[in-house]
Amino acid sequence: MAPLLLRNLSWALTTLLEVVLLSYLVRKKLYRSHPAFLTYVLLAITQSVIVATTYQMEGARSDAAYNIAWGTQAVLVCARWLAVMEIAKKTLATYSGIWAMASRLLLGTGACVFVYAIVASRLHWNLAILNADRAVEFGTAGFIVGMFLFVRYYGIAMPPFDRMLAIGFCLYSCFVVINDSIYENWLRFAGPLWSYMDLVTYMASLVLWITAVRNYAEANHRVAQPELTPERYAELSQKLNSRLLLLNHRLDHLFRSEDSRS
Amino acid sequence: MNLFLILFIALAVLLVLLLAWAVRPPKRTLVSQEDIIEALCEKRHYARLPQILQCLRPEDTDFLHSRGYDNLVVRVRRERKGIALDYLRYLEQEYQLLLDATRILAKVAPEVSALDEFQRFRLNLRFLLYCRYLRWRLRLGLSPWTIFGILGDMEGDITLRLEAATTSIGERAAIASEFPLFLQNRRDGSQ
Repeated sequence: MAPLLLRNLSWALTTLLEVVLLSYLVRKKLYRSHPAFLTYVLLAITQSVIVATTYQMEGARSDAAYNIAWGTQAVLVCARWLAVMEIAKKTLATYSGIWAMASRLLLGTGACVFVYAIVASRLHWNLAILNADRAVEFGTAGFIVGMFLFVRYYGIAMPPFDRMLAIGFCLYSCFVVINDSIYENWLRFAGPLWSYMDLVTYMASLVLWITAVRNYAEANHRVAQPELTPERYAELSQKLNSRLLLLNHRLDHLFRSEDSRS
Repeated sequence: MNLFLILFIALAVLLVLLLAWAVRPPKRTLVSQEDIIEALCEKRHYARLPQILQCLRPEDTDFLHSRGYDNLVVRVRRERKGIALDYLRYLEQEYQLLLDATRILAKVAPEVSALDEFQRFRLNLRFLLYCRYLRWRLRLGLSPWTIFGILGDMEGDITLRLEAATTSIGERAAIASEFPLFLQNRRDGSQ
């Protein structure tokens, strides 16, 4: 009973933190700049209420509770994915060229990771929902890490608020992958503990997001970047690449001449 | 615990580590467009390549060696090795400047080719590895200066790497000539 009590307390605390986060988001008028994130928080609160009511009325182990819990979870995962996309777009879309390339690459990476996670779980169809959940979280984490790598490589300025939101999403997703994998292996023993650990990680993300809204929401604006014309870019890029190609040829030539000398 | 589960956990941990690496502040702050243009207008280090190659040639110190000035030979070679290492460091800095220029170009470009960007990334890695390798060759290989066979090999390596560096630094010319133009275009467009 103790783990269940702990889980329920954590659940209540999580919902409270979600409400606090929502109130901050509304107060700072972030529904204008981050509508997807606000929707996600709203849906998370709604899910908590629906699932808690179902547990109360039908019992935590009933089929209805199972279906409602995982059904609402699917909606929540989609909302989370949209919130992550919103952050990525806000960060990279100012640079239209980079965004056009990065969005395709990141979506491709996310899809590959998702497919891998599904294929790797092929022998455990009885845990299909769990596997799908893990796959989506895996894809989300891969997407966010990829986004941060792009940001670092191109030296793109990312507002601290968006940065903190993305870190919170990524850490939570990574932990869900680990937690789901552990749950899959110790299914019988770790049920309540799994749920509790999931809540604790989510709480940590909520605290991170609340801190971000409190401290960085005001600084969340961006300056529009200038653009080259497509013709100009094509010209510059071609010149650059032809020179780099020349470098490659010279290197190959020098390597061959060195080999023949030795 | 099966292999897939271990792999999942390991990959998740790897993602967290990658995240930690990606979000930490960069050691080198990216310079502005103006800084790059200014730096590109300065005298380039690769112009001194012939002197550097000359000072690394064994014939340059053979005379002193034949006269019995062994201590002086050691000192001269040590100092020249230091100069070569400094030269290599400057080349790396110049290459980084070129890379910064390509990144700025990508940031203001309306369309970026993933293939081109990947190619540049790959070339950057290759260049950095060559520089690192050459630096260690200089540090380790130049110590036994009297072994002319090793020095001959090193000279070949130096020629190879510095040729590569010189050619790549030549990329700056394209950027240096084009950057003011597109900045001018931007200014004209904004007015």
